[in-house]
Amino acid sequence: MKLNKYRKKSPWILHYNAGGCNGCDIEILACLGPKYDIERFGMINSGNPKQADIMLVTGPVTKRSRERLVDIYSQMPEPKVVVACGSCTCSGGVFRGMYNCEGGVDQYIPVDVYVPGCGCRPEQIIAGVVEALAKLEQKTKDIEKSIRLDRSPQINNGQVDRREIAVGIAPGKVFG
Amino acid sequence: MNNIVVQIILIALAPFIGGLIYGIERKVKARMQRRIGPPILQPFYDFLKLMDKRKMIVHSTHAFLGIIHFISLWFALAILITGGDFILVIFLHLLSTAIIILAGFSTRSIFSHLGANRTAISILAYEPVLVIIAISAFMLTGSFDISALYAGEVPPLFKMPLAFVALLLILPVKLKKSPFDVGEAHQEVVGGVELEYSGIFYEAIYTAKWLDYVFCYLLVFLFGGSNIWLGLTLVVLTFIYINALDNSTARVSYKQMLRFCLWVALPLAFANLLLTMFNIL
Ligand code: SF4
Repeated sequence: MKLNKYRKKSPWILHYNAGGCNGCDIEILACLGPKYDIERFGMINSGNPKQADIMLVTGPVTKRSRERLVDIYSQMPEPKVVVACGSCTCSGGVFRGMYNCEGGVDQYIPVDVYVPGCGCRPEQIIAGVVEALAKLEQKTKDIEKSIRLDRSPQINNGQVDRREIAVGIAPGKVFG
Repeated sequence: MNNIVVQIILIALAPFIGGLIYGIERKVKARMQRRIGPPILQPFYDFLKLMDKRKMIVHSTHAFLGIIHFISLWFALAILITGGDFILVIFLHLLSTAIIILAGFSTRSIFSHLGANRTAISILAYEPVLVIIAISAFMLTGSFDISALYAGEVPPLFKMPLAFVALLLILPVKLKKSPFDVGEAHQEVVGGVELEYSGIFYEAIYTAKWLDYVFCYLLVFLFGGSNIWLGLTLVVLTFIYINALDNSTARVSYKQMLRFCLWVALPLAFANLLLTMFNIL
């Protein structure tokens, strides 16, 4: 029996703040509140990586949080998708080039959907999650491949960039 | 519930009924918070989705204990439905909770330990009350069999009303509902004992939670005795009461929970025992 279509009906969310300013976290929590009420699509903020399907990340990945980010990501059982919420999560945003930040989540884990906006709106987050669900339905239960670097990371404009040199990373979809 | 066929069907369908109760409960809760809420079949969608996740286990004993927890709870429920020994039902329920506590302590996760610890404390809170209710039922009917409760003409509710009040007070502890949800406390210990389960093994825990609903509401149904409609009314009223309580209160600490259960619910149950013992009602 194909169970793929039920993934769409009960996506459980894991929310992790990798050093953002908390603006996008508030918006994510607003999605759970009475006004936007994403529980009507069956989403629960499970807070437990072992039972979650969708990872909502915010923040530009500070050097302190990157180990936890990868740790939490690898604790999620497949199939799983990652939604990067907020400009600083996608590219570094206002924190780009700072000495303590890495400039984007996709330097460390594969991101499926990018949701831009410094303080992304709840509508945008919901649209991004819906986009992610379509991806989730296609995914298999294979373990997600880790990214190999074939060159040493480059520094341009004061920001280390691992994106260009990563092999085997699927380009994500920008939603906005 | 004398018909054997009805009993067997009820036992087989118990997880399904529990899932429906859970679905309705999520809907009711959402409506109480002015949200739309998930569809009523949502727990089953969750069930089907969890079946399709990759399995990750901490160690095999841990996963095994989770499944045994589910099975022993189902046994307890089966005995409750067939009208067996009340003490045996309570004991089997205790056993299933003890197994999940063992599972919680068998991992190295600190939250799992905390959750197991708190579950053990909540056993301390509700178990004495349940045992005293069982003894009151014995005093009333002269037998520990649950089917004896269905046999009397006057529903047990009118014979032991204080026991029913005590049961209402401990039900939130058993169902892990606010204000007594310290064992699960998603914001503090992230689900407690169920934390380390994933995929199909979490499913056992998740379904055991549905069985717990059926178990608790059947205990309430018992108070209706031979009058099925009284029993069903009690179940519906209790359902509304539990959800209203869950939505309107904040979590108390485990010490307050223990103090409340042992100082309020336990004396109530005890007073009820005295009332039935001396045949006052
Ligand atoms: S995108 Fe803007 S609002 Fe969101 S976490 Fe980053 S800095 Fe804060």
